[in-house]
Amino acid sequence: MQELDPLLQLFEQVEFLLLAGIILVFGYLALEHKDIVYAAFFFGVMASFVAGLFLLLEAPFIAGMQIAVYTGGISALIIFGVLLLPRAQDRTLEVLPSPRARKIGLLLSAFVMAMSGGLALVFPWSTDIPQGMPEYAQSLQGLAEWLWQSHGLYVQIIALIILTTLVGTLALMKMEKAETLKDITAEFGVEAAPMPDDEKTEEATN
Amino acid sequence: MRLFVDFIPVVVWALLAVVLVIVMLLASWVLRPHVLQNSSKTSPYECGEDPIGPARISYPYNYIVYTILFVVIDVMGAFLWLLSASTLRLEALILWQALIFIALIMGAISFSMRILPQAALDGKETLELYHEAKKAQKTKHMH
Amino acid sequence: MVPLSWYLVVAFMLIGLGAYGMIVKRNLIRILIGAEIMGNGVNIALVAFAVYGGVFSYTPQGLVILVIAIAAAHTALALVLMLLYNRRYGHVDLGSPVQAEVK
Repeated sequence: MQELDPLLQLFEQVEFLLLAGIILVFGYLALEHKDIVYAAFFFGVMASFVAGLFLLLEAPFIAGMQIAVYTGGISALIIFGVLLLPRAQDRTLEVLPSPRARKIGLLLSAFVMAMSGGLALVFPWSTDIPQGMPEYAQSLQGLAEWLWQSHGLYVQIIALIILTTLVGTLALMKMEKAETLKDITAEFGVEAAPMPDDEKTEEATN
Repeated sequence: MRLFVDFIPVVVWALLAVVLVIVMLLASWVLRPHVLQNSSKTSPYECGEDPIGPARISYPYNYIVYTILFVVIDVMGAFLWLLSASTLRLEALILWQALIFIALIMGAISFSMRILPQAALDGKETLELYHEAKKAQKTKHMH
Repeated sequence: MVPLSWYLVVAFMLIGLGAYGMIVKRNLIRILIGAEIMGNGVNIALVAFAVYGGVFSYTPQGLVILVIAIAAAHTALALVLMLLYNRRYGHVDLGSPVQAEVK
């Protein structure tokens, strides 16, 4: 990888600082904005700016996946969760932490941030990008080889995790519904709505 | 060449978009007549009708299941996008992996769509709980 | 030239911010947002190490792909659990008394 000219180096630093500032401000707003709908939207904005940081780090596919899954999927999920909870949308009903707990938490996390950030700045990391950095097309190629050729089992594990999530979600909701039904005739979790008479007789004859 | 150098036009475009929005907001603020705001001017516009009832309604829980299905398709699409964007030679092993991956997720989706009518909860109680909490808050303020 | 430590500082600050949200907040949705912010910080650290590691390797980037996929799954499950929590207890605030039992 050839050296960049100084103007581009300065541009990279300015871009990084801008992105980092925006990410931290939106991350803080996503936690602290008093309206929870706005907080969810700010989380989505923060996730899409993190994708910009991934582009600076030479990871185009991760940036695309960040935008597709975090900004497009997870923040939409959180917004739908807020939509389904009318109680959470009302900011006057939100239970806020006591000022003392908030202050202690802020101090604690600021201390941890300062310590770990100071250590990261002091520690002698290697500062250059290595010579064999792949280009854009090669990077996708190498990543695809890593994921689909050498570690194909991980893909199946992801599929199983997604399957478990979907089935578990639906099973939880079904159990909740079965508990609310009045007369449970069969064992737990089975649909227990009263059957019409003609179906009952049909089943008896079978 | 570094990747961010290729993306400089995108950064310029994003800055232009931000500037455009600010200019449009400022221009509309300058150009619009600053008249007195009254209740009929600030009420939500519902095709000329008077608004009836509160805007808060309850939604059935199915909505979140559909969103979860969307996210699942999203993740599956990202994984397959990686495979399709590469020029991997489609060996039998990779083909079978992709087929099993798609079959597992599609099986999960079809199962959940099948079981969804039995798990459908109408979210009416969320609104009731909200009104109860609001009432409790009001009585607490009165005392 | 942006050194590795800058990326790590951003990552640690995001992790600290998420930890603050998870420790202090009482609303479950905000706690979930805090967890997601922490996950973003971890992803940034992993990708930064992948690039500046001296020898380029695809393993951290592949791990980040898996982490993002699992984050989508756990968020979905957490939100459904939140809805059912609201159904049982009448609110989504940790440590509050039970408001109502929906049956």
